[in-house]
Amino acid sequence: MFFRLLLESLFRQRRRKLLAATAILLGTATVTAMLAIGTSVGDKLNHELSSYGANILVTPKADTLDVVVGGVSIRPATAGSYLRESDLTKLKGIFWRNNILNLSPELPLHATLTQAQPSQPATVPALGLWFHHTLHYGTESYAMGAPAMHRWWRLQGAWPADAALDQAAIGSKLAAQMHIAPGDSVALNGEPVRITGIVSSGDATDRTLLLPLALAQKITGQPDAVRRVEVQALTKPEDALARRNPDSLSPALHDRWYCSPYANSIAYQIQEALPNAQAEPIRRITQGEGTILQRISGLMWLVALAALLAASFAVAASMTTAILERKQEIGLMRAMGASQFSVASLFFAETALLSLLSGALGYLLGSLLAARVGWEIFHSTIAFNPVLLPAALGMALLVSIAGGAPSVLRTLGMQPAAVLREDG
Amino acid sequence: MKRTQFSLGFIVRRSMVHRRVRSLAALLALTVSAAVATTLLTLYVSLNRQLHQQFRAFGANIVLTAPDGSTLPSETLATVRAIAGSESRIVPFAYAVAQTADGAPIVVAGTDFNAARAMDSWWQVSRWPNAAAATPGSPVAAMVGTRAQGFLHGDDFPLTYNGHTLALHTEATLRTGAAEDSRIFIPLAAFTAWTGQSASTLEIQAPGSAAQVEDLLHRLRAALPGVQVHAVRQLVESEGRIVDRTRSLMLSSLVLIALTVGICVLATLTASVLERRRDFAIMKALGSTQHQVALLFLLEAALLALAGAAAGYLLGSLCAFGIGAWNFHATIPPLWQAAPAVLLLNLFVALLAAGLPMRILRTMEPATLLRGE
Repeated sequence: MFFRLLLESLFRQRRRKLLAATAILLGTATVTAMLAIGTSVGDKLNHELSSYGANILVTPKADTLDVVVGGVSIRPATAGSYLRESDLTKLKGIFWRNNILNLSPELPLHATLTQAQPSQPATVPALGLWFHHTLHYGTESYAMGAPAMHRWWRLQGAWPADAALDQAAIGSKLAAQMHIAPGDSVALNGEPVRITGIVSSGDATDRTLLLPLALAQKITGQPDAVRRVEVQALTKPEDALARRNPDSLSPALHDRWYCSPYANSIAYQIQEALPNAQAEPIRRITQGEGTILQRISGLMWLVALAALLAASFAVAASMTTAILERKQEIGLMRAMGASQFSVASLFFAETALLSLLSGALGYLLGSLLAARVGWEIFHSTIAFNPVLLPAALGMALLVSIAGGAPSVLRTLGMQPAAVLREDG
Repeated sequence: MKRTQFSLGFIVRRSMVHRRVRSLAALLALTVSAAVATTLLTLYVSLNRQLHQQFRAFGANIVLTAPDGSTLPSETLATVRAIAGSESRIVPFAYAVAQTADGAPIVVAGTDFNAARAMDSWWQVSRWPNAAAATPGSPVAAMVGTRAQGFLHGDDFPLTYNGHTLALHTEATLRTGAAEDSRIFIPLAAFTAWTGQSASTLEIQAPGSAAQVEDLLHRLRAALPGVQVHAVRQLVESEGRIVDRTRSLMLSSLVLIALTVGICVLATLTASVLERRRDFAIMKALGSTQHQVALLFLLEAALLALAGAAAGYLLGSLCAFGIGAWNFHATIPPLWQAAPAVLLLNLFVALLAAGLPMRILRTMEPATLLRGE
């Protein structure tokens, strides 16, 4: 009997229920969308922040001191020790391998550049790099290199092929100074090299010749050598634990530290993987990224919270009105002998059923909305988050019952005759 | 019946007090809509500024350097300060390659410690040296990069530049993970006295959007010919993109929330007006004109909208202030322009909600309405 009443009541007089259903649907949709955005914005932003380039720098441990002013190395290129290029695959074997987005090894040198038409040879700084290198680890392969690391570099022409020993790119200021255009042939230490592209960076690279790493190793006579490696990793903002010295932590804390993607712990793992290497987080980038990440995700969380509150109140107000509309029904049921308890349970059951149905629909709509917003803004979709379904349903249930309860209880407290006589 | 007995104000007051729950629900809905609109508007207007403020964590976005090997004219700092304005931070740097006691080359930089501390928040310094506390004759207080430290013997060490030897004392260590780690920093005044060179680089952190930075760049270039001025492209480009995306995200959220709350409020108010069709019918049956009844209903709605807007504006401003203080550690002042906008929005929603059912009811006969559905 109760269920028949419930079903009858739910599907009759649909216009009256439409208000409540719409309010719950919209409310849960908004809350789901905002929570979905709030939970995924950190992830999306972290990928956006990778445009700042490397956040960890790996150098040989037993190194002589860098003597660099204004991005130009003053010390002769032959001094110092090297890392091994072939060791770099090991970085894809560390605990946080999936957080390592890009590697860019560098080998600086000085080379003599002569143009095709007879002119004065000039000694220019050069840098051996990966351009579109494929790194193999196990069965997987990853595309890595300097152009993806330095997204602010502008290229006119094409990047040299990584395997080519007769191709190079040139910094824009150096190119202008020596009147070199893409496609020109020059001699590098006597060997013919074709300039494939001109790079503008806004920093010291503008005065540098960019060579495939293999060519740079051939010129310096140091096969497999790299001077330093820029690493770009997805990291978690630094917190109190991240700042602690890992060696002073208790075993449990050390494990937590080790298994959190802090820039410090990723650098620590890189050092473990590469013997004789020193890995340091580039604090300017990691600290800045941490600030931005915390502030913007904090903002979106607060806005999601505001949306939750606002939607709750709006839905509660709608429910109050929607139940008030049905005072007469309550009066009639009471007049026909229904107990206060059975009327209340009928109404609450109906409200619960309605809010679950609308809430589920709202969850779907909200997830679609979030995915759409994510695609529009970050060009990557926000996945359906199943954890939000119980949250959305719980919110719908709680708010609609809390919104409806005062009207139901108040009407139940009145004489049925008074309710019926009163106009709706 | 003498109509003067029941003035419009009296009827409105009685009507609202009599239906307390319903009026409260409508008022709550209108307050929430106004509060949400105020919060989001206030937040959105100050968002640009707040976001760009956060990107200051990345440090200098403009670098000004003297041509190779030379130093900047002494008045450059004052010129740049005048052009860049008081909101910009400027740090001078001078560089020289000195020799340690072993004869190893090492980069020494002269700078303004207080300015560097304000701008380069990521510098991990054990204890910032106080340049003002230096006493003449004692060793110069130096901040030593963690890598450079390994090449010095002890905390007190001499450095030689061009035949001049300077006694230094390690006052603090510095870790940045970048080139600074291999350098030794000393106060600019001591650097100039020792090497005879003044600053060759000014790092400038200019506030504002990419366009504002670009504009400052042009003005600096025009005012300082012969000096290289360039933007740190790595920072400026990313900043613009991230700020834009965050703004779009906020705007979509704003539209979504406002739409939801707006529709809920509209539906609630419409239902509560529609429900009063019997009042409407009785008033008409008693001889009120269409006009009078409409005026009564609209007046009620407008009053609720006004009260809701006032309460919502206060609540919303408070909420925006709270978000600013908590998240951005900055003051987001109330936006007075939001008040009329929110009031208009609320009036629009309320009048629309009251007006729509009126159009339906007008065509119906009072008798039909009174008899039931």
